[in-house]
Amino acid sequence: MSPISCDSSRDLALRARRNVLRMLEATPAGHVGGAMSCIDALAVLYASVLTIDPSRPGDPRRDRFLLSAGHKAMAQYAILAECGFFDKSLLDTYGKEDTALGGHPDMYKLPGIEGNTGALGHGLALGVGMGMGLRQQNCDARVFVILGDGELAEGSNWEAAAIAAHYRLGSLTALVDVNGMQISGPTAAVMSMESIPEKFAAFGWRVVEVDGHDHEALHDVLTLPSSEPRPTAIIMRTVKGAGIPTIASRVESHYWKPTPEELDDAIRSLGLDDRTAHDSR
Amino acid sequence: MTLVDPRKTFGATVSDCALERPEIVVLSTDSGKSSGFGAFAEEAPDRYIEVGIAEQAATAIAAGLATTGAIPVLCSIAPFVTSRNFEFFRNDIGYMKQNVKIVGRNGGFTYSELGSTHHSLEDYALAGSIPNVVVLAPGDAGELRAACRAMLDYEGPVYMRIGSGPIPDFRDNREFVIGRGYYVTRGADLTVVTTGYTSILVREAVAAARAGGLDVELVCVPTVVPIDAGIILESANRTGLVLTVEEHYEFGGLGSRVADVLSASGGARLSKVAVPQRNQPSSTYDDLLRRNGLDVPGIARAMMNVVQSR
Repeated sequence: MSPISCDSSRDLALRARRNVLRMLEATPAGHVGGAMSCIDALAVLYASVLTIDPSRPGDPRRDRFLLSAGHKAMAQYAILAECGFFDKSLLDTYGKEDTALGGHPDMYKLPGIEGNTGALGHGLALGVGMGMGLRQQNCDARVFVILGDGELAEGSNWEAAAIAAHYRLGSLTALVDVNGMQISGPTAAVMSMESIPEKFAAFGWRVVEVDGHDHEALHDVLTLPSSEPRPTAIIMRTVKGAGIPTIASRVESHYWKPTPEELDDAIRSLGLDDRTAHDSR
Repeated sequence: MTLVDPRKTFGATVSDCALERPEIVVLSTDSGKSSGFGAFAEEAPDRYIEVGIAEQAATAIAAGLATTGAIPVLCSIAPFVTSRNFEFFRNDIGYMKQNVKIVGRNGGFTYSELGSTHHSLEDYALAGSIPNVVVLAPGDAGELRAACRAMLDYEGPVYMRIGSGPIPDFRDNREFVIGRGYYVTRGADLTVVTTGYTSILVREAVAAARAGGLDVELVCVPTVVPIDAGIILESANRTGLVLTVEEHYEFGGLGSRVADVLSASGGARLSKVAVPQRNQPSSTYDDLLRRNGLDVPGIARAMMNVVQSR
């Protein structure tokens, strides 16, 4: 297996953002804000980091990716579709009757999904178990988990963080999507979890801080030599709703229900000026 | 008759299986030795994972391990691996259909004097409410050993309750088929259905009742979910009277499962011996059984009451 052959991660991220809007055309609302804040990290992972083969999604040697903040599923669907895990026409079924693309990912409905995440505070411990299982098989595959900053208020994350450090699980990388907002308002106001880097460091993790929309920086930290016997936490500073000017940095983007005009604006802002281009992408 | 410790019997049986099958992994939440895995921890330290007092993460970690082909066994005090971690059990093991074995030890009243926080009177209801999860409650030692092997051979999520007080070891090689009950005695007056440790007490009460002329039919169902509807209906249709006996709240356990079976058939009248839906005092194990009519005389009384009210 080799990393997926994709265009550059920036191009992948742009096409994935367009796919999110395509899903929004299929259904009137979605968790767009968080999807947009983590989509650059997903694009870097799938374009140039994960060793994974869309034609063999169950290969036991594959790297594992878990979207612990499962409500950001639109981002994962958008990326997986773009990478060829399933036909892009499935995106048009988002939110529809009996869809394979529900509001949270389901491993039995779509290839490329490693866990039924969405209830917050599960993904990191699932990832710890996967990492332990792979290590027992002497498989050097890596495990990546995207967490939200609001999600860190769930205490189970810290059980998992302690266990991962205790077992020196160097194959595990947590990417914390720190967009600073959750449903009720700014994370700092709802339940401050800062300092997130210091918390992970105190639990025994190697910690790296990065701009979560800077592809080169993300690529560099995601491909740091992995002989490190500690798990790695990548604290990504991000913008909720990134890429869509109308909602960027706005709490309202968390679950966005755009008006037709807002959707048109978003489509234009992603360089999709007319429906012909939109349909043929 | 030999009496043995169910926790040691469980730990030894699973350890034997694990030494034969390298995919079996034991998870401990600071409780592995009490679950009978002291020797295994020494013999196979790479497959004995201590995660500390962290049952939520332990449950998700077990699911993560299972995705890589492992068969994780997570055993701890029953409420902490059923109610404390319920959402993790529900989502990561049930919804994700992972091949994980959750074992609640010191189930029922067996942590008697430690009080309501440590009683486990809702575990059949909780685990049994999760789609895809099988619920087992073996009684005597032979049944427990056979249940452990059946659980490990079964591909899918299983919850098993074991107790802590000594259980009889009849030294028989009992067949254990998940989902199937069996007749202990046949009779025409009354069907008694029971599961788990209580089946040992019920056998004694039934033997006494039969000696007194009551023709009781005793059905043991060591699988609570899925319940063996066939054997229950077969017996109930013959006797017309059913009494369930279990060390569990009256809601959501064996009695409720049997009620569902009977109500679908429009069949026999049902009575239950179970624990009323309220917190129970800290006391000795035998006292808690007695107060709730789950001792041998209490079960015998219940049988007489049911038959006399026919």
